[in-house]
Amino acid sequence: MIEVESLSLSFGSRRALEAISFQVPSGSVTGFLGPNGAGKTTTLRVLTTWLLPDPGTTRVVVDGVDLLRDPRRACGRIGSVLETVPLPSELRVCEYLQLRASLKGIPRASISSELSRVLQEVDASDVGRRRIGTLSQGYRQRIGLADALIGNPPVLLLDEPTRGLDPRQVTHFRQLLDRLRGDHTILLSSHVLGEVEQICDRICMISEGRICLEEDRDAWTERLATAGSIRVEIAADNPAIKSDLEAISGVRDVVADGSGWLLTSDSDVRQQIGTLAREKDWTILELRRDPATLESLFLQLTVSGVAT
Amino acid sequence: MSRIISLTRRDLLSLFVSPVAWTIIFVFLLVMGLTFHLSLLGVDGDLRQLVAATYGGLVFWFMMLVIPPLVSMRALAEERRLGSLEMLMTTGVSDSSVVFSKWLATWVFFLLLWICLLPLWGLLSTVGRVDVGVLFSAYLGVAMVGAGFCATGILASAVTSHPLASAGLATAMNMGLFLIHWLRFLYQPGDLELRWIDHFSAVHHLGDELTRGIFDLRIPIWWGTFTILMLFVTTKVLERRRW
Repeated sequence: MIEVESLSLSFGSRRALEAISFQVPSGSVTGFLGPNGAGKTTTLRVLTTWLLPDPGTTRVVVDGVDLLRDPRRACGRIGSVLETVPLPSELRVCEYLQLRASLKGIPRASISSELSRVLQEVDASDVGRRRIGTLSQGYRQRIGLADALIGNPPVLLLDEPTRGLDPRQVTHFRQLLDRLRGDHTILLSSHVLGEVEQICDRICMISEGRICLEEDRDAWTERLATAGSIRVEIAADNPAIKSDLEAISGVRDVVADGSGWLLTSDSDVRQQIGTLAREKDWTILELRRDPATLESLFLQLTVSGVAT
Repeated sequence: MSRIISLTRRDLLSLFVSPVAWTIIFVFLLVMGLTFHLSLLGVDGDLRQLVAATYGGLVFWFMMLVIPPLVSMRALAEERRLGSLEMLMTTGVSDSSVVFSKWLATWVFFLLLWICLLPLWGLLSTVGRVDVGVLFSAYLGVAMVGAGFCATGILASAVTSHPLASAGLATAMNMGLFLIHWLRFLYQPGDLELRWIDHFSAVHHLGDELTRGIFDLRIPIWWGTFTILMLFVTTKVLERRRW
């Protein structure tokens, strides 16, 4: 389990994280979403112990180990895949993983079997003897993942792990996460919302260094089911249409959309629109509900990213 | 300990696959070979003098000042620039282990360079008598000065992310330690200020003693302390830049 409470981090005068709090339950796969520059990678870097949070941070616990008090012990509980995996091109895959295993404190006698296991897990056994410099981006990404799995750490932090993978490899990666689910607590940062929707049990959205949504699958599925936009096109040129539509209970916003109107509402208000049309004697040319998606939720909750 | 050995081996390997390292080896052997040859012609068969000329002359000091910064310039700077330092430091390895292994790899490479000169002495011993004790103490001096200057190189590499800037900074630091010795000519013999200059002078703490086979315990203590101090400061710089 990962527990973060009031985590703040500043780079000079710029606040990158504003007292964020969230939890990743044991054995779950949690999607960590947010625009570029929102603070995703910074949060992951704190969790890997690379960055030290500001003194006001209350609690950062990784698999029962207080990261603020004992960062080195916490390191042993975490396997991470960075956004870009910088691998030494001069080494062979097995040499590199051997080095990483010895740095992670794996006993010499079990390094060989451990390497076989992780290479098999990421479907890269065939490149064990190849130099890293000759590998494709997809294979490099898999070697990064194999590195994260060395020592079977209970917590995995994955920052854009499917970047550079082909569709077959992405499918394989999803199957791998399914196998790891339950035994590992996984925090997955990704921009591929479809992937998050398919894989994750829980999502956590961050925007401008603040957590703006933290929900499990049931809650966000329900949210998507009730939210969404409605497009209505009415054969009348009446300036009062907008205010009439806005007056419908549950409607949050009405904007012009070409020749029609786009309504954002908390619930499905098509029936109320029909009733109103009858009352006002409008002729409805189109009445369509576009269900909310994770993408629309993302766009609604997050502000546009600022590159850092 | 096994982590330090693994890291040192990996750093040594990455040094040997770099073209910079092979260029350093080539230039070093060329310059030192020429120096050896010219000194041999000038010492009139006195091999003790040859040791002093090879391991105490201006070319020797030039190599001492320039080679360690060039070897160590990529140690931390390059890792930081590529992002691999983050991967390394988040495996639970302590900052001091990383600094020590980087220094050790640099120092071993530096010693290997000087060991490459030993066959020349082997060749010479077939036609004359080489004083092994004097040669050994000269190499002790090389090892100690190299340890200190490699440590300043690692410190410079921790301060900046640009290898060339790191090499320049380390050379300037080494040069400072070297040139401070020549400040003594500003004072009259017996002036109290001379004692302070001697405390900080690299040349004073190698001097002629070792190339004459005289072992003074103060020399390893000074260089040992200097090396440890530099590595300690590097660890602190790394901690500070990381967090």
